[in-house]
Amino acid sequence: MRVTTNLIYNQNLRNIDANQGNLVDIQQQLATGKKLLRPSDDPVGAAQVIRLTEELDKITQYQRNNDLTTNSLELQETALRSINDVVNRARVLTVQSGNGILTTQDRKAIGAEIEQIRNQVLDLMNTRNASGEYVFAGYQSSSQAFEFNPGATGDKVKFVGDDGENQIQISDSVKIQSTSSGKSIFQEVFARLNFDVTAQSPGVELDTARIDQQGSFDNFHKQNFDPVNAANNQYRFDVLAGNQVSVTNIGTGSVVSTQDFESGEPFRFAGMEFNFTASPGDSLEINLNRPEKKNLAETLNDMFVALTSESISEADFVKAIDNTLVGLDNGLEKMSLESSSIGARLNIAQSIRESNLDSEVTLQAARSSIEDVDYAKASTEFAKQETALQAAFQSFPRVSNLSLFNYIN
Amino acid sequence: MIKTADLFSIAKTGVNASGRLLSTTSNNIANINTEGYVRERTEFKSELTGGVNIGFTDRVLNQFAMNQLRRDITSVGEAQAFFDRAEGLDNVLASEANSISGAITRFFASVQTAADDATNITSRDSVLGQAQGLVNRINTLGDFMTVKEREVEQQIDDSVNNANALIGQIGNLNKAIQVIGNSSNVDTPSALMNERDLAIRKLAEFMSIETRTSPNSDLGLVVNLTSGESLVLADGTFNVLALDGEPDFTSAQLRLSTNYAPPKANTTLNVQEEKMGGALGGLFRYREQILEPAQRDLGKLSTALADAFNSQNRQGMDLDQQLGGNIFELPGFRGINYPDNSDLSLGVKGRFTEGAGGDITNSDYQLEVLTSPTGSPPTFDVQVSALNSDGTAQLDESGTPITQVLNVSAQAGTYNAMMGGIEIEFASGAAYGVGDQFLFQPLRKAANDLSLATTRGEDLAFAKPLRVDTNAANLGDATIRSVTVSNTTIDNSFGNIQASGFNGAGGIQSASETPATVGAPASVLFTSATEFQVLDNAVPPNIITTVSGVTDMNNLLQQAKDNGASPPWPTEFAALQDYPGYDFSLEGIPKPGDSFDISFNTNGLADNRNAVELAGLQQEDTVRQSIGSNGNKATFNETYANIVGSIGAQTANGKIELAASQVLQTQSADWFESTSGVSLDEEAANLIQFQQSYAAAARILTTAQELFNTILSAAR
Repeated sequence: MRVTTNLIYNQNLRNIDANQGNLVDIQQQLATGKKLLRPSDDPVGAAQVIRLTEELDKITQYQRNNDLTTNSLELQETALRSINDVVNRARVLTVQSGNGILTTQDRKAIGAEIEQIRNQVLDLMNTRNASGEYVFAGYQSSSQAFEFNPGATGDKVKFVGDDGENQIQISDSVKIQSTSSGKSIFQEVFARLNFDVTAQSPGVELDTARIDQQGSFDNFHKQNFDPVNAANNQYRFDVLAGNQVSVTNIGTGSVVSTQDFESGEPFRFAGMEFNFTASPGDSLEINLNRPEKKNLAETLNDMFVALTSESISEADFVKAIDNTLVGLDNGLEKMSLESSSIGARLNIAQSIRESNLDSEVTLQAARSSIEDVDYAKASTEFAKQETALQAAFQSFPRVSNLSLFNYIN
Repeated sequence: MIKTADLFSIAKTGVNASGRLLSTTSNNIANINTEGYVRERTEFKSELTGGVNIGFTDRVLNQFAMNQLRRDITSVGEAQAFFDRAEGLDNVLASEANSISGAITRFFASVQTAADDATNITSRDSVLGQAQGLVNRINTLGDFMTVKEREVEQQIDDSVNNANALIGQIGNLNKAIQVIGNSSNVDTPSALMNERDLAIRKLAEFMSIETRTSPNSDLGLVVNLTSGESLVLADGTFNVLALDGEPDFTSAQLRLSTNYAPPKANTTLNVQEEKMGGALGGLFRYREQILEPAQRDLGKLSTALADAFNSQNRQGMDLDQQLGGNIFELPGFRGINYPDNSDLSLGVKGRFTEGAGGDITNSDYQLEVLTSPTGSPPTFDVQVSALNSDGTAQLDESGTPITQVLNVSAQAGTYNAMMGGIEIEFASGAAYGVGDQFLFQPLRKAANDLSLATTRGEDLAFAKPLRVDTNAANLGDATIRSVTVSNTTIDNSFGNIQASGFNGAGGIQSASETPATVGAPASVLFTSATEFQVLDNAVPPNIITTVSGVTDMNNLLQQAKDNGASPPWPTEFAALQDYPGYDFSLEGIPKPGDSFDISFNTNGLADNRNAVELAGLQQEDTVRQSIGSNGNKATFNETYANIVGSIGAQTANGKIELAASQVLQTQSADWFESTSGVSLDEEAANLIQFQQSYAAAARILTTAQELFNTILSAAR
């Protein structure tokens, strides 16, 4: 090939240009620590980096959500545990108050302690979180969950929140419930099931009508209580000739049972114990009471009232103790269900946190392998380009100095 | 032996010849740095009568090398123009600070944080702060693309001007060369021809051209576009390029126009820009393959995101205990009049249909009026055709153009929904003519003009507007499993087919607020384990309907709509699209007498249900990816990643293309240079050689004189 003067210059210039371009590029890679300087360096990789970065950012956010959820659940757990502790103390006191040798003064002393416990339980049911919100009030967390009004007729401790429960996202696919409504934890607690004597014929002299075996009565009540048709909850005991008594459902008119009966001797029906004197043709009517719901504070308040009352009959006091014990047990059971549910959610939160950490490491490694520079490789490449550029710089003047004109005199 | 020349004349021709050789060599040396200079050589023939002729100086040129060089210049020109532009966009997308993806992630993270504590004003404000950040990123990128678009227009304009100047220059040089070539019988006008070749090579940078020698066997040159259209004719007449922007003057198209003297009318010819090659072809290709699709993709992403967030927010309740409104403000757009329309003052407005963000494709639309408006308000048929960003028709899976015929009503405030999630409004009672056409480019500027509709954190609707409570007296263990709200449109008159059961005054409709005899469902009362009544909120409640034979506790109100009897679901309700717009499901078994009360979520400010759903939009497939009827969708970030990936891939291709064409150009330039370039060493050698031959020829003269003197002295 014929080599012309301009060819020599052009070629040298071009090589130096190319070398410098490469050198700057590698230098930039070394300086930024990234081999993916712009999307065109690796379009597929760039798109992947965007997705991986999003995943990583999401995980960071999920971990933050997880922390907040865990805090909130732990706060609830603490409240429930405290309630559990004091209610157990109240239960001991209630049992103790049933001891017949206690004087009115002793009862009052116990009553004072029960009152403290009631206040404490009420406070705990109105637990507030760091931002001052009532955690058990549902969605209406800016006002209290339970209001106490000792002068009210009916329930003195009313739930005034709602059923609202919040959920928080802690991974792409998992949301966990971060709050529970006080309604489901404290309010939906059934009080002791009971019955009343509603009528008796003039010949009947009633001595006792009480629940002897609460378990049998609860079964009977649950199976037979009709919330819609009130008449179906009324039963009539007809004393028959031949020392028999028949039990008739007034609503349906069907005879439920016929039993032996001896006037003045106790007999039992479905966990209820009756003792009355009557002669054939007499009858007694009872009504299964509608199940009531009482929260712990309400139950404790009832007990406090019974303990401090000057005028309460012994039978009513015994009934009050029974009511309290059943009410507290039911309440504790409901709370223990919630506690275990919170525990389960904390476990889920923990395991999701760990799996998020695992994915974080994996995703970071994946992202790094796409966009981060391999320093060993890049510095070798830098040295190589540097050498090439130096060689070009050194050889250029020598080539360009070679001219025939230099030898013509 | 014929001896007609003496030594003197032989010596004279020899000295002349060497002189000419020396002048050619000197000329070569002198022009070593002249752009476009082709080295020259002088050739001689010996005269029959002795001595040498006066010689002929010509350029040393390899026509093949020159043609190859010209073609390679064209491909480098195209690749360079394409890559330079694409690289700009590529670099912007590379910047972490401009990343929309990061802004999207931060925005949704802030929603999640706010969802953790729905009543916290600070975190609500931070959501709006991040929303503003996101809008800024999207605006910045949109504006950047618009600037790039203007730059390309400007550059196309400049290129066309430059190319036209070169075309004119070549035509003029053609004429001059022919005049000189015809008048001189000695040398070719090589300086002019060099200049013409240089102008052709410069023109080749802008477009792909071919040259032919004149059919009249003079020195004229014919220059054509590779696609066949003539640019310069042998006689020096030429055609020029013109830019034309109908109907969209901001997106110019190329035409070729004749350049006749005034009385004669000029004609124009369409040119296929993408086949132009050269810098012009590269610019058009960049505009049509990268910039315009990217603008629309970005517009689609921002519109779909804003609409999805707005829609979800509208289904919630804000901190002021009102139904949620829009958080983002979507820009409207206008139809561009075609120049042949009957009345250029008539416009057509368009906007994005609320809640239809998932239908938006990156199409442009052409609308044509099919029938004359009749009636009051005037109605008429229009045909809408989906276009690609370069103006070609979009085809569906079976290869037929996507079109839609609509009957529209021309009345202010009446928006006629059309395909692609947009709706259009015609001027009231206006006389649109049959054949009038309008061009819509909904997404072209959508990213530039996106803004926030509110700056109040309280407007974020994190709560659902509705809650369902189990009645305190319930005996069964049924609890609420889920509550859904799908529609919050307020219209107590039911004039709007989308009306919902919300009354707009912080409650659900009572019997007096609906045209029906009953109000919206306000509670569900189980009369047995398998039968329930749906009641309104009157005291005592009216029975809306009764559902019996219930086996499934999911979506109780939907069951009431489907199976309600005695009385059946009111016909007024059934006529609406989605009424009451809410529903709920139970789990567990209800006892007879149990009821579930539906109420407006008054004071339910700690509710984060809607916030969780707002945050969940981040991983939902929301943005439509294809124009096909299946319209597969992707998440916001995926969509952005696709934009980045696609621009990156095209830029990477452009880079490879540029490198490859540069290698080819280097080779052909070297080939051309090695034939036609000046080598100083060679010229140095020639200088010595011709100096010596000059001295030798001069020596002949002295020899002849000595011989003459010898003869003279002999005769003395």
